[in-house]
Amino acid sequence: MAGMNRLPAPFGTWIDRTEKISFTFEGKEIEGFAGDTIASALLANGQTMISRSFKYHRPRSVLTMAGQDSNTLVQVGDEPNCLADKRRIEPGLAVEGQNYVGSFEDDKGRFTELVERFLPVGFYYRTFHEQKKSWKAWEPIIRRMAGLGKADLKADFHHSYYDKQYLFADVAVIGGGPAGMAAALGAAEGGAEVILVDEGAEPGGSLWYARFNFDGTHGSLTRAELAAAINGRRNIRVLSNAVCTGLFADNWLPVIKDNRLYKLRAKSVVVATGSIEQPSVFRNNDLPGVMFASAAQRLIRLYGVKPGSRAVILAANDDAYGAALEMLDAGIPVAAMVDLRADVPNTEMTQAVRRAGVEIIAGHAIQEAIAGPGKTRITGAVAAPVAGDGKLGNGGRNLACDLILMSVGYSPAAHLLHHAGTKFAYDTSSHMYRPDSVPAHVFAAGSVNQAYALDAVLADGRRAGWLAARDAGYSSGAEPPAPADLGCDGVTHPWPIFPHDKGMDFVDFDEDLKYKDLINGIADGFDNVELLKRYSTVGMGPSQGKHSAVAAVRIVARETGESLNRMSVTTQRPPYTPEKFAHMAGRVFEPERRTAMHHRHLELGAQMMPAGVWWRPAYYGQKSARDQAIRDEVNAVRSNVGLIDVSTLGGLDVRGPDAAELLNRMYTFAYAKQQIGRCRYVLMTDNAGVITDDGVAVRFHDEHFYVTATTSGVDAVYRQMLWWNAQWRLDVDVANVTAAYAGVNIAGPKSREVLKRVCEGVDLSAQAFPYMGAATAEVAGIPARIMRVGFVGELGYEIHVPASQGEALWDALMAAGGQEGISPFGVEAQRVLRLEKGHIIVSQDTDGLTSVWEADMAWAVAKTKPFFVGGRSAEIQAKKPLTRKLVGFTLANDGDPCPEECHLVLQGEEIVGRVTSAVRSPSLNKVVGLAYVHPSDGEPGKQFEIKVDGGRRITGVVTKYPFYDPDNKRQEM
Amino acid sequence: MASLTNLDPATLKRRSFIYRKLAAAGAEFAEVNGGAVAMRYPERRESEALTARRMALADLSVLPHGGFKGRGTVEWLTSQGVQIGTDSNKAHVQAGGELAARLAPTEIFLLDSLQGTGRLIGKLNNAWQWAPSAPRPQQGYPTPRQDSHAWFMVSGEKSAEMFAKICGIDLRPRHCPIGTIAQTSAAKMNAIIIRADLGSTLAFHLLADIASAEYLWTCVEDAIAEYDGGIVGLAALRSLQA
Repeated sequence: MAGMNRLPAPFGTWIDRTEKISFTFEGKEIEGFAGDTIASALLANGQTMISRSFKYHRPRSVLTMAGQDSNTLVQVGDEPNCLADKRRIEPGLAVEGQNYVGSFEDDKGRFTELVERFLPVGFYYRTFHEQKKSWKAWEPIIRRMAGLGKADLKADFHHSYYDKQYLFADVAVIGGGPAGMAAALGAAEGGAEVILVDEGAEPGGSLWYARFNFDGTHGSLTRAELAAAINGRRNIRVLSNAVCTGLFADNWLPVIKDNRLYKLRAKSVVVATGSIEQPSVFRNNDLPGVMFASAAQRLIRLYGVKPGSRAVILAANDDAYGAALEMLDAGIPVAAMVDLRADVPNTEMTQAVRRAGVEIIAGHAIQEAIAGPGKTRITGAVAAPVAGDGKLGNGGRNLACDLILMSVGYSPAAHLLHHAGTKFAYDTSSHMYRPDSVPAHVFAAGSVNQAYALDAVLADGRRAGWLAARDAGYSSGAEPPAPADLGCDGVTHPWPIFPHDKGMDFVDFDEDLKYKDLINGIADGFDNVELLKRYSTVGMGPSQGKHSAVAAVRIVARETGESLNRMSVTTQRPPYTPEKFAHMAGRVFEPERRTAMHHRHLELGAQMMPAGVWWRPAYYGQKSARDQAIRDEVNAVRSNVGLIDVSTLGGLDVRGPDAAELLNRMYTFAYAKQQIGRCRYVLMTDNAGVITDDGVAVRFHDEHFYVTATTSGVDAVYRQMLWWNAQWRLDVDVANVTAAYAGVNIAGPKSREVLKRVCEGVDLSAQAFPYMGAATAEVAGIPARIMRVGFVGELGYEIHVPASQGEALWDALMAAGGQEGISPFGVEAQRVLRLEKGHIIVSQDTDGLTSVWEADMAWAVAKTKPFFVGGRSAEIQAKKPLTRKLVGFTLANDGDPCPEECHLVLQGEEIVGRVTSAVRSPSLNKVVGLAYVHPSDGEPGKQFEIKVDGGRRITGVVTKYPFYDPDNKRQEM
Repeated sequence: MASLTNLDPATLKRRSFIYRKLAAAGAEFAEVNGGAVAMRYPERRESEALTARRMALADLSVLPHGGFKGRGTVEWLTSQGVQIGTDSNKAHVQAGGELAARLAPTEIFLLDSLQGTGRLIGKLNNAWQWAPSAPRPQQGYPTPRQDSHAWFMVSGEKSAEMFAKICGIDLRPRHCPIGTIAQTSAAKMNAIIIRADLGSTLAFHLLADIASAEYLWTCVEDAIAEYDGGIVGLAALRSLQA
């Protein structure tokens, strides 16, 4: 039977008795059935204590059996804080209790209860507000005590697969109880596409376990009818075992099911989320054996588990009597009904209970639950006469029992309505908050909307569904009427709160807050419910006030004399239930870009590096030989021939009658007279005159420029061109063709020879194809744009081809250069090569303030253009003295260490600049670099101080650049 | 004309950015448009046409595709016999089965038919010439779409549901008529998705940055797994059209 407390079929509609499953709890083997939750299996096997409370480490057990509370949080393997009353058992699960010191059964932390008077409400405020130094002593203690489950940070961490999916609906119905099912049908009948979200294994909600008539058949018959109707509709999709955790703007709803977060967008939403049973406050109301009546009914009906062997039921409504009949059907004697009401109404249910011979003690409350040994289970209840709101008279009776069921009222599960901005009003007749004004495109139905009688619930649901469908643009038939009588009066007691002199009368189970704690908080001056929440932490635990928010409001109202009509529960924020970070994060999409030659680099042993979202080869060879590999690549380019993949560099086709004019306005230089077949440097500044990008403009036609840009800057350059031209309206078209062209730079004294072998249709000689020339031709049969540019300072050609033929180009050039021993080279070598020539890299050697004057690039500014972006600012800057200057430098003492980027340049103790690039040049065998220095030190030969690692100061010498081949003979050969 | 030999894609100049993945999956290649397209997967147990009807992904990147943009584009293309409607974000089927996708009032993306002859696109590329001197007529400008965009095709009844895992647009057939273009985000990157059913089978063209082809292919392959999807060759897609 998998447990001594198991009931026979037909109890246990959600378990499969043909499949037994074993797992462990605290090392002990437990047997359950498929469909059991951890909590139901534990209770079935007589394991009552499931967790320890946060502060006092009091034993806790099932309270709601619906995942609404935190009394049954357990550790499952390496996953902390799992809801035992929701989590299904699986073979081999290793479940542990949480929050104990020593062992679960003999938790040393329980002795905290003995010093509870020294841990008053507002402990943190009181202790650390005035005695900040005491934090040092308290911190280690609080850190040990804080939290519930454990995250093992040393575990062999693995990623699990979580992902997301979009869903679309005309009408989303949240909650698959009777109201939600009726709403889904009401909406679908009009033709709307409906998605019904329900947290149960199958829709039905309370129809699965609650008692709607004395013989208990009404619920299941109604559920079967509704389920058949829903299954017969193609336009209703049911998401079961799914929780909607929020309702955001424009009806965007996150729904979590298993490892997936659904992003559901609906034209209209019906919130049919039901209501949450509310506890009574009495001494020891938190101990194992005290639970909601609905929890007991769920255990019996859904899981076939006896919640106890002898029950006392605290009643204030008809549902309590339904629960009593349920106990009797399951063979559990009911010692007494302790009814808060002095006059118990004569209903079908109360009559049935009387007929069954159960004693009804009217006008009484539970004063105290009697704790058994170790407080692991109650052994009795003390019932006392109600003498007024919160007051009990003498003459209490001891009732032997191991189970107290509370059925004293409800509060709407209105969180999603709160998220949507619904205003609530307190109904003095039903003693509950009801939705008063609901925002557009949102509808409430069922007990969240104050409908409690089943007929009213169904009618309310159907009507809400019809209205939601009409709101989404679908309607059929006449508008269904609103139910005349919601049946909400007499369901909730206005004051089920009975404080005890000896305390342990809990208002908030999560935070171990007792009645006195709230009273003292209010007395301390925190007499507004929002302030009281933060001061006392009421409602701040994992269940976020589901069972304490309403009680807190009632207590504040009573203590302050404020009317409940003018109050509200504290602001409800998403998520409605705990969400894992994995749900937020998964599936992670991290686009990356690879050039056409990517795999060739890997095959050649490249160490790849990220350049924005691109991957580029940093160098070729082992990591352990990095520096030598880079030096070898530099030497290969300087003395032989090298090949680098430059596909990532930005490319823009600028075409049209005003193409040259656009370039004139966007860049500092002049382009109107640039000849076809020639390249010209481009330097871009922003409105403030700050350098933002650079590249080369190649003129292929009088109305066509091909403009290159930096890898990381091209998208911004493209945007800027479009943005500016939206104002200028020049007749020009700009296309960002970066990815469409793969590019290489073949460079070195032997590059011409190698290229000649595969290049047709163009004379590559120095005379016919001089430095800064350009041509279109075929390279290895591939149409190519060829430019002679000199970033690395050697004879070289940049070749751009259609991207899909980039790998073929690479292969052809590597083959063509085989006899010379052509060497692939990477970004690191390129950075050295360009530095030896003194070429700047924008945003390495420039920053967010660098002007053309600081960068010593006046040569790149056209003198006679009427306008370029940043030109006016450049004019203004030119008239002001510089505050720093970018210079080339070498070291006075070449034995000094090579400075690193951002090492400071000092004048005395004042910071006047920094090093932007520096390297020990393989070609020159000395350190060369670029740095910002004080303008007074800006002339060649001047010395300046650099502070390197360890605080050491070395001397730089301003040096003209290019450092290598200063006459540019090699690059122009 | 495609020739059916088990081709090594690296012997041709035009190469799909994911040819290695396709080869590793057992593709049999054929030459189309100077490149190697995965035509079929001979080792597959299930018929590829069946997979394509349920949930499939294919790479068409080497097939001819191109485009034009700029002032005068639509007028010029129309003068060349291309059928283009008045609304943007609509794709129009041409006489030879090619697709003219109007992305914007002055931007057209052209996709060849699955036969891959490239007749229309080739004709248009040849016809477009710079006029000898200014002032030149407004006729748009060719865009290098063949090499800027990878081209995948997603087919099968589960296509829209699969896309919902990587894209926030409602691509369900009832909400996305044939020829609809979504210029959107898929797997966190810019993508153009065009509904282009194959016979009675729901299908979409997926066009995105060629440099992210491997990344996007991996994402979609992962997404189709839930629906028992698989990669298929061009032959399977052609068979659905017949």
